[in-house]
Amino acid sequence: MRFVSNFPYGRAPFWLLVIALVSLGLRVVTARGREARPDLVVVTHTEAQFDAYRKAIPRFERDHGVKVQLQFANWASLQARLQNAILAGTEVPDLAEVFAGSLGFFTRGPVEDIGLLDLTDRLHADGLTQRLVQSRLSLWSTRGRVYALPHDVHPVMLAYRRDLVEALGIDVSKLDTWDKFVEVGRQVSRDLDGDGIIDRYMLDMRYDGNWALQILLFQRGGQVFDPQGEVAFATEDTAQLIRWYLEQTRGPHRIGYECGWGQPVVKAMTDGLVLFHWAPDWRSWIFADEAPALSGKMALMPLPAWTPGGRRTSTWGGTGLMIMKQTRHPDLAWELAKYLYFDTAELGQRFLATNILPPLKDAWNLPEFDKPFPYYSNQRVGQMYAALAPDAPPVYSSSVDDAGRLGLDRAFNRSAEYYARHGEAGLLDEIRSELAVAADDVRRLARREKILAKGKL
Amino acid sequence: MSGSVAQRPVRPPSRPRYKGKAPYLFLSPYLVLTTAFFAVPFVNAILLAFYETNGPRSRAFVGLANFVYLFTDSVFRRALFNTTVFALVSVFVQLPLSMALALLLNSGGDRVKGFFRLVFFSPNLVGQVLVGILFGVLFTPRYGLINRGFQMVLHWGLEARWLSEPRLIMPAIVLTSLWLWVGFNMIYFLAALQTVDKTLQEAARIDGASPWQIFWHVTLPSMRHVVIFVVIMSVIGSYQLFELPLTLLSESYGYGANDAGLTLITYLNYNAFRCGDLGLGSAVGWVVALIIFVISLVQIRLGRLAEED
Repeated sequence: MRFVSNFPYGRAPFWLLVIALVSLGLRVVTARGREARPDLVVVTHTEAQFDAYRKAIPRFERDHGVKVQLQFANWASLQARLQNAILAGTEVPDLAEVFAGSLGFFTRGPVEDIGLLDLTDRLHADGLTQRLVQSRLSLWSTRGRVYALPHDVHPVMLAYRRDLVEALGIDVSKLDTWDKFVEVGRQVSRDLDGDGIIDRYMLDMRYDGNWALQILLFQRGGQVFDPQGEVAFATEDTAQLIRWYLEQTRGPHRIGYECGWGQPVVKAMTDGLVLFHWAPDWRSWIFADEAPALSGKMALMPLPAWTPGGRRTSTWGGTGLMIMKQTRHPDLAWELAKYLYFDTAELGQRFLATNILPPLKDAWNLPEFDKPFPYYSNQRVGQMYAALAPDAPPVYSSSVDDAGRLGLDRAFNRSAEYYARHGEAGLLDEIRSELAVAADDVRRLARREKILAKGKL
Repeated sequence: MSGSVAQRPVRPPSRPRYKGKAPYLFLSPYLVLTTAFFAVPFVNAILLAFYETNGPRSRAFVGLANFVYLFTDSVFRRALFNTTVFALVSVFVQLPLSMALALLLNSGGDRVKGFFRLVFFSPNLVGQVLVGILFGVLFTPRYGLINRGFQMVLHWGLEARWLSEPRLIMPAIVLTSLWLWVGFNMIYFLAALQTVDKTLQEAARIDGASPWQIFWHVTLPSMRHVVIFVVIMSVIGSYQLFELPLTLLSESYGYGANDAGLTLITYLNYNAFRCGDLGLGSAVGWVVALIIFVISLVQIRLGRLAEED
């Protein structure tokens, strides 16, 4: 102990030094050699995809004699970290799945900063552009180039309580336009017990527009952004749509009621509070999973068209697979991407597990897509979605994607406030004005981004 | 010699003076870490506010353009307004409620105190994200517990769309935050109340002071340091509000219909991490820091003035 007492500057520095040395020693002893990086690393953010890929990847590894590592990550952190890692030049996975609407985030700034592999030429060379639903490439394209493979089409139908609808004498085959749908909706949306509160509505409709408004906008051929990434929502058609939507959710003869998400929707459908809800392919599966008690009582129908003979579907959501520019094996990564997304042997089983329709048209002829689905009154759900898929509208991307959607919502909600105060009088002019203001705000934000292209350090 | 020994004052042993590099070597780990994780990011954050960026590597100098953009952006102004409203509600609604609860509990027995302290504090243990998700369900039109509770008591609210009607979004955030924070701040007040000199309160009572006069003129001044601390912390916390609106209004990135739930930090997060513009995000961060700094200074000054009075 004399040594400790005589240590220069006293005992405390001695013990601090001991702790530092022991910590360092432990770190050195416990440090393992870094495992060799597999040939490819692929990250997904959806459990269903993770399970499917986990089963499929061993075959790819055997066929190509390579090692592939599959990772699962939360989608929000995946997006933010991936973009920053790409820009900072730090380690990134070779392939990553992201949600629709995020391409703008990954392709912001000068073209040379885009950290994704341009897949356009590969798609053409492999003849995939003709085999895929064309409109789905729009979701993953910017400046005329494709930067991700589309995983799905996500055509939208309406799911409805077949038992209640039939009991009300409604023939859904006649509801082929929104005008007819609203007409019937006004008859069935009513207060059944005289307490002044409406007990049955025709359709689940978000009160603040949001995705429901966008589904209808896309169905009408409208867009938030045009193919060049410029703001495109401030149109007369959007104004007309907003007026229509306000009438259906707030008007004296409203047919829409917001049910929320998850279990509240299940409860509303079970109680018969709403008869119809939005059912893109993915949601048709989720709802069946969440509301097993309604098995056999539900059915699907195409969206009513805006004009007779018009488009009977829209689209909602999407996932894409990107290949990073930094990958050491771009050709192998491309092979894996094609295998995961377009290998027909896998796609049939994957459809049975998710109801998600792949964009590869060849796959729709598989027997799995023709199976009756007992939950939806034995309808051939795969064939129904496949029949609508070629007509699914494109959705274009921009570097200020989210801002565009928020801008559209802002215009809608400001118009709704006007409608609550003044009713129909001057409503259309107000909507036009709010759309113009919102579009200008988005353009202003987009202009900032152009500074980057000019002044990159 | 007078026979008495003059008493020399005993000097404390002087601290040894070390020369050479050793002191600096011992200080170096602290200095290196502080420089790497505080000074460099601090300076970088200042510089960043004058750039437009696309993630961490690509940037362009824009001078004061980020600040000009902020103050001409109606969405930022809305975020500033919403956050200020929330801060005011925190100070003028949440803290009085916390104080009332603390006074109520302070008059109870130790067991009662302990039990309710746990009950009121427990919402804080689960975290804002879980509370946000939970209240998202409670606020469901027609089926939500809160909607049904309001309907039962006020004959209003069954159909209230707390999270999609602009005029109800901020009240929904406030209600949720009350549940979360009232109990938390109550703990501070309760602790402070237990240090108040009982004899002063007793003397005031004998002099004929009413319970309100005792509270206002005796109890509150005795705990003013804690009150000032809690007010400052509440204001700072309010200006940093983020997780709650983000989880309650997740489908609009925390903005809410007509930006009614948008706060300054949500705006910062959106621009910096969803749009990748760290420069604009940094500018927002400095504006928030400046606001908090000024408000805190004013509060401290007011506290001192009250003390002098």
